[in-house]
Amino acid sequence: MSKVVGIDLGTTNSLVAYVNDGVPVVIRDESGDPLLPSIVSLGDEGTIFVGREAQRRLLTAPGRTVYSVKRFMGRGIDDVTGEASLLPFTVSGDPGGVVRIGLADRAFTPPEISAFVLRELKHRAEEHFRKAGEFDFEVDRAVITVPAYFNDAQRTATRDAGRLAGLDVLRIINEPTAASLAYGLDKRNRGTIAVYDLGGGTFDISILKVEGGVFQVLATNGDTHLGGDDIDLEVMSRVLRELATPSFASATIQAIRKAVIAAKWDLSEQDEAEIRVEPGPDLPGGYRRRITRVEFEAMIAPLVDRTLEPCRQALADAGLQPRDIDEAVLVGGSTRVPLVRRKVEELFGRKPHSDLNPDEVVALGAAVQADILVSGRRELLLLDVTPLSLGIETMGGVVSKIILRNSTIPASGREMFTTGVDNQTAVDVHVLQGERELAADCRSLARFRLRGIPPMPAGLPRIEVRFQIDANGILSVSARELRTDIAQTIEVKPSYGLTEGEVERMLIESFEHAEADFEARLLIDARNEAESVVQATEKSLRRPDFAQIAAEELQPGEREGIEAALAALKQAIGGDNREAIQEKTHALNHATQHLAEIVMNRTVREALSGKSVDEVR
Amino acid sequence: MSIPVRSIVECRSCGAGAPADVHFCPQCSRILALGRHGDYFTFLGVPRRLTLDTALLEQRFRELSRQFHPDYFYNATATERVASLERSAYLNDAYRTLRNPVSRVEYLLSLEGLAVSAPAGIESTAKPKVPASLLQEVFALNEELDAIRERRESGEDPRALGARLETARKPIEEKRDEHERQLEALSARWDATQERATLEALRELMLERNYIHNLLATIEREAAEVSRPLTDR
Repeated sequence: MSKVVGIDLGTTNSLVAYVNDGVPVVIRDESGDPLLPSIVSLGDEGTIFVGREAQRRLLTAPGRTVYSVKRFMGRGIDDVTGEASLLPFTVSGDPGGVVRIGLADRAFTPPEISAFVLRELKHRAEEHFRKAGEFDFEVDRAVITVPAYFNDAQRTATRDAGRLAGLDVLRIINEPTAASLAYGLDKRNRGTIAVYDLGGGTFDISILKVEGGVFQVLATNGDTHLGGDDIDLEVMSRVLRELATPSFASATIQAIRKAVIAAKWDLSEQDEAEIRVEPGPDLPGGYRRRITRVEFEAMIAPLVDRTLEPCRQALADAGLQPRDIDEAVLVGGSTRVPLVRRKVEELFGRKPHSDLNPDEVVALGAAVQADILVSGRRELLLLDVTPLSLGIETMGGVVSKIILRNSTIPASGREMFTTGVDNQTAVDVHVLQGERELAADCRSLARFRLRGIPPMPAGLPRIEVRFQIDANGILSVSARELRTDIAQTIEVKPSYGLTEGEVERMLIESFEHAEADFEARLLIDARNEAESVVQATEKSLRRPDFAQIAAEELQPGEREGIEAALAALKQAIGGDNREAIQEKTHALNHATQHLAEIVMNRTVREALSGKSVDEVR
Repeated sequence: MSIPVRSIVECRSCGAGAPADVHFCPQCSRILALGRHGDYFTFLGVPRRLTLDTALLEQRFRELSRQFHPDYFYNATATERVASLERSAYLNDAYRTLRNPVSRVEYLLSLEGLAVSAPAGIESTAKPKVPASLLQEVFALNEELDAIRERRESGEDPRALGARLETARKPIEEKRDEHERQLEALSARWDATQERATLEALRELMLERNYIHNLLATIEREAAEVSRPLTDR
């Protein structure tokens, strides 16, 4: 049977996990790293790089590399123009339409970029199962997590990304709820918990009641545009102001960003850190600056404070006081920031839990949910809510709410429509999501037209429109004229999403690109192999007895040959030419064959003479 | 004496007949499509009362969620999946409605043909009539609101106006609190007596309550105007 996985598709990093004999585990890459940076880069020949490789290219090919694409999922160009200025990639799109990410001369929608990340995770999981000797190692089904506060368009975009990656998306679940599931496995089985989830780009708070294996979300709130990225931006703009240079190349801005992030991490452990940027073409002197934790906290305090109002609102919606919370749980990499921990502790009056790795807990919970779906096991059940009210535009641009926020999903609602003119056969409906009273202040989800209304005097038809939010938090609409019992045709045009036709077309394109993607995969594999040969060679060259070996056992010129082959391979690794990398890898392997034999013999001899292998290394 | 006839639905999985108030087919034990069904009380299996034991309600909700939830029908037939989705959505709607004492009263009134609000979507253009018991308060409030609006427009100190609004809000809030108490008392009385007169009194109460909430919303809007910085006006 093919495999199912749980995927945390994060702003900064993504992870994949599965349930092995009842225990959820995160799948690591070959080097043991559980995190896949959610970064995608377009190579010169159209190859796609994902993860660490793409992260490296952020400094060398910034105009071809995209990060934090999650912030653009399900959004329009009018939502994001403000933040595009410091990004190395271009963001464009028609007003009222889907955002397009420009990498070199190609344009991608956010779901397409996310699909590259998902495909890489799928590949990682398949490799894992293949190596574990599984007969059927294909991964074709997944539960994918989204921020609880994601709206319908953002959820749909995530589901589209899954489809584009060749995954059957079993379920879209909310990140804080997934985390609570991972926590709840071995915890006490009843109580009220608050999950505070501050990730790379989004913030969520969910209040849950856990009883008898049922994880019931009482209320959720958040901000889909608040996270570690904003902390980085805040510090970066301080640095840029202090440098007082009108503008920098993208590569320099990325170097500053990298340095700021490193200092942020250090400040979670230390009281003081250094922001250190190496000299570059437009920063000849480089940049070094001490930053204390106190100074850092003063800079980011307004951002952290912005998380508190959603927490209070969620408590109020759940009808609870902070003291009613039995446990507070921290999720997301940004909750490593000590100031965040202090603020959460202050708000809930208790020390928050962080015993599970905040980076991994969401993926683990997603794996548990995936297992529940396919196994039919009934010990646990998640009952989540819709984060935002759903309504339709009525006379005067006012929103009439049909399903209220924090309604347990699946949820349904209905609204009656009639006609305003005799023999009118169609009615336009505008679906909105949000809490504000005016349509203009809410999120437009879709517009559709009810057609085929039987001709009748105005006001006589009774058209019942039924809205259903499924267990993924995604809306579907159906309609029926009650007097004639005729079902209406509905063509939903998503306001900020892809149409069915667009998804189909992209799927076909992705098959066409599969060859290029396969090529990219081969390149990455070649590069990884090359790196391991380089490392092994360098290790031999660093041996304390290498000078002795060179003098006593190597042929004249052999050492120079090895060094030349090593340099040539290192140079090839920097490029995108797979054949060159493989050729130079082969050459280096060949050049070091003799040396490897000598080293092996010495190791064996030393081992036999009683020394441990470690001692001679 | 007539024999009670239970309404029957057809199981879409095996074609057998099933009573409308059960959730699973007695023949093939598959989940039934949500065809004709009982009201929220019978669906949840709780007594038709206005003062409900919320712990019992919650317990029933959790039990039924565990029976219907789409998570447990992932590998089932399409018919069962649709049934699970519809039954879960109906369960969630039922639980949400009965959990809150006010929506519970409104729901019972609509079951008894005494719906408080107009049928959804049919917009009434007529302004709701002022309930007689509120005439005095409404008259005083409107006068005060007009005065405050006038002064605001002529640029008077917003802080003083804010204080006046607070004073105007007081009697309305007291009315609201009084209503909450009456609602509890009448709910208990209906549970004990099941008299139609009590339901009609409840309906009047709900109409007044809606009116009071509209008044408070009006005050809220004016308060927002008053506290808005002058530069934004």
